[in-house]
Amino acid sequence: MKMNRRTFLKTTGAAVVASALPMSLVRVAFGAKNPAQDFTFAYISDAHIQQIEGSKFVRNWDMGLIRAIQEANLLTPRPDFFFFGGDLAQLGKKEELDHGLDIISKLRGKVYYVIGEHDYYLDLGKYWESKISPLWYSFDHKGVHFVVLNSILTYDKWTHKNWTTPMDRMLAMARLDNPEGSPFLVGEKQREWLKKDLERVDKSTPIVLCSHSPIQKIYKGWNFWTDDAESVQTLLKPFNKVTVIYGHVHQIQYNQVGNISFHAVMATAWPWPYPKSYVQDPSHLPKLTVPMNRADPFFERDATGWQFINLRTGNVDMHYQLPDNENRSVVFNPKTGSPKDSKYQDVSRHIPPQNHY
Amino acid sequence: MRDIRRYFGVLLIMLIVTAALAMKFPAQADEFTKEDVARWTKEFTTVVNEGSRLFHSSTLGKNKVSCDQCHPNAANTHPETYPKFQKQIGKVITLFEMVNWCLRNPLEGDPLAADDPRMVALLAYILHERRGVPLAPGKH
Amino acid sequence: MLRGGVIAATLVTCVAFAAPLGLPPLPVPADNPITPEKVKLGDKLFHDKRFSSTGEVSCSTCHEREKGFTDGLPVSEGINKLKGTRNAPTVINAAYLHTQFWDGREPTLEAQSAGPFINPVEMALPNHEPILKIVRTDPEYVDLFQKAFAKTGNRVTMKEVEQAIASFERTLIAGNSPFDRYFYGGDKKAMSPAAIRGLDVFINQGRCVSCHVIEQTQALFTDNRFHMIGSGAKQMPKNLDDLAVAVEDVKKRGTDIAVLSNEKTSSLGRYAVTRDLTDIGAFKTPTLRNIALTAPYLHDGSLKTLEEVVQFYNNGGREKETDPVPELLSGGIRPLNLSKEQEADLVEFLKALTSP
Repeated sequence: MKMNRRTFLKTTGAAVVASALPMSLVRVAFGAKNPAQDFTFAYISDAHIQQIEGSKFVRNWDMGLIRAIQEANLLTPRPDFFFFGGDLAQLGKKEELDHGLDIISKLRGKVYYVIGEHDYYLDLGKYWESKISPLWYSFDHKGVHFVVLNSILTYDKWTHKNWTTPMDRMLAMARLDNPEGSPFLVGEKQREWLKKDLERVDKSTPIVLCSHSPIQKIYKGWNFWTDDAESVQTLLKPFNKVTVIYGHVHQIQYNQVGNISFHAVMATAWPWPYPKSYVQDPSHLPKLTVPMNRADPFFERDATGWQFINLRTGNVDMHYQLPDNENRSVVFNPKTGSPKDSKYQDVSRHIPPQNHY
Repeated sequence: MRDIRRYFGVLLIMLIVTAALAMKFPAQADEFTKEDVARWTKEFTTVVNEGSRLFHSSTLGKNKVSCDQCHPNAANTHPETYPKFQKQIGKVITLFEMVNWCLRNPLEGDPLAADDPRMVALLAYILHERRGVPLAPGKH
Repeated sequence: MLRGGVIAATLVTCVAFAAPLGLPPLPVPADNPITPEKVKLGDKLFHDKRFSSTGEVSCSTCHEREKGFTDGLPVSEGINKLKGTRNAPTVINAAYLHTQFWDGREPTLEAQSAGPFINPVEMALPNHEPILKIVRTDPEYVDLFQKAFAKTGNRVTMKEVEQAIASFERTLIAGNSPFDRYFYGGDKKAMSPAAIRGLDVFINQGRCVSCHVIEQTQALFTDNRFHMIGSGAKQMPKNLDDLAVAVEDVKKRGTDIAVLSNEKTSSLGRYAVTRDLTDIGAFKTPTLRNIALTAPYLHDGSLKTLEEVVQFYNNGGREKETDPVPELLSGGIRPLNLSKEQEADLVEFLKALTSP
């Protein structure tokens, strides 16, 4: 093969990414034809800062966010920016959001925010919007179009039921296994906005959609679910390279639906079981997903963590940083056009801790 | 001779009385009706519901954390695998001991006695959510 | 789950003789079975001061039999009393460990034994040649190597030296402590009432058993994993610049030399070996067997007594309750809320781990 600078850099980059060490990520600049550049960003999510009383917060969840931020501050080369993926607070209280923001203030870098249901349902996003971030927006970075949605809305008749207090509504949404819950929605208003927003975007521009809910239908009982997922996916179909990054599930998940890659991010607070471990109900975890290792609850950070993302050639490579556990890399495989775990994808390579039941 | 006859007489009277009583009060040891079963199932369900309430409450420990935060629908508790070797306690234990480990550690609370009504309720809920799964004691 | 710590690639067989009470079968690599000749040779090598640049330091200088095979110092001193950065781990029961050194940088006893000879703050030889010269020419060694390996002259290499030392170290195993007799031997009088209460603390409120493992039929008191427990938090790199400096040091001078000569580099712990951000400041869980004999404690010998160690854990990985909580603390470490009596009982229990 004729070795020119571009091929040399490409192969070097591939080898480095496969070893998943944060120290030596190669940036590849593509020619004028494709303005999208290789870059990295990091994602921290689902902190669930929980107030006990006064200025006492649940130490376990505090330590999770503190650790992720300290590790992220030691990441080199520096990522271009950070995302916070939602559920900063546990019950949406001002004290919890403020305490969380205080911890995040130690993070060295710009932070974009995605809202989660635990942040939203106490005051319907008022404090978040006034102090932290708009609820949905988009921006461009180095030739990639980023979109952030508020994907944890739900049907008006549930949101505006005659709740005794706003906290009752928050508690009802906070309880994951609530039989009286209501499925997540992006909703018509945001879908209209998204359609218009994407009209200005070239079909060859890579798109990254940051959402709290999965924009898929995985398990309704725990709201691993977006009721209008298909409608949102339809809006993304015309584009060549689309990745949806979502929180909420507190576990490793990844999927490919047509041209859209899906990647779940880990929580800093605590892990959740895979839906199939609730045997009374069927569920649909993407078959592609190789599960994370089961957690030892003695190690409070086990099966929690954060991630940095290498947007190599416009597709996402996600590198999970999991303390007290083995790091994982889920990397886009251009041959199959889908994400692939760099070590465990094949069934013959699965290890006992990945057996969830 | 007269003693033997008196002896048999007493025996006969006892037999007659017993037979008469048996006809009036059927043997109670192993008979129960459909209504009994329905009633007892309801009794059990009240305990399951109490267990669900406790499981989802933030009052079992000292830090407002509730069991369902990590175990929605009691998933990932694997009650069918107990007794088993439990790494966090260093020996083979039964389910209630592990529930106590969780009460002491992530919930920063106090353990419950095995026959504490709250422990019984928690176990009833946990097992109810796992009904139908074959027993697998010792499975890690 | 083991990460990076590699069990020797060669097959391991377990020795047929019964291990002491409370210990599992001894793992022995298939390519280095234990023989009395190897043990005798290894013993001599272990105690030979000639394998140092000043002729004054042998393995036993820092791993002295009378001191529980350590040296009673916070950090060990090599030739000319040069101070290192780490506390000498005991050799007793080291045969059961899956990796050697506080950061697990060597996978076997064999591999570990070669390092200190050429470390500038330990024996400070320029390379292994001086050792080979002696063992190939000294008549006693010639005879011992012939008997142990059927090798003489240039066929005696560092591999044979390492194998002999390792075989000797594999005889240094000890169980049958008062704890073992109580827990596995069924002798309810073997431990004092305070130690029995201490065992309850160890398993329950103290949360010790998850890392310092006790199992149903044997107890190694280590999980062979690496955890950041708060030791060395003060020296640990806090920002990217400090981290970069420490990593440069490791890259330039090699892990073995860098970590023993620079406190800041030493505080990297397991990170120096794996370069995984989740391993910064993590050190291997040592066994607690014979812990009463191996003061001072922690990787840098910073805690002098068992009471101080228990207090350190009770504070959630801090010497004083007012110290800041390290951001990268292992998820298993947290304040324990033990009472003074519980702390004292726990210390009594630890003393019951001394083998006769």
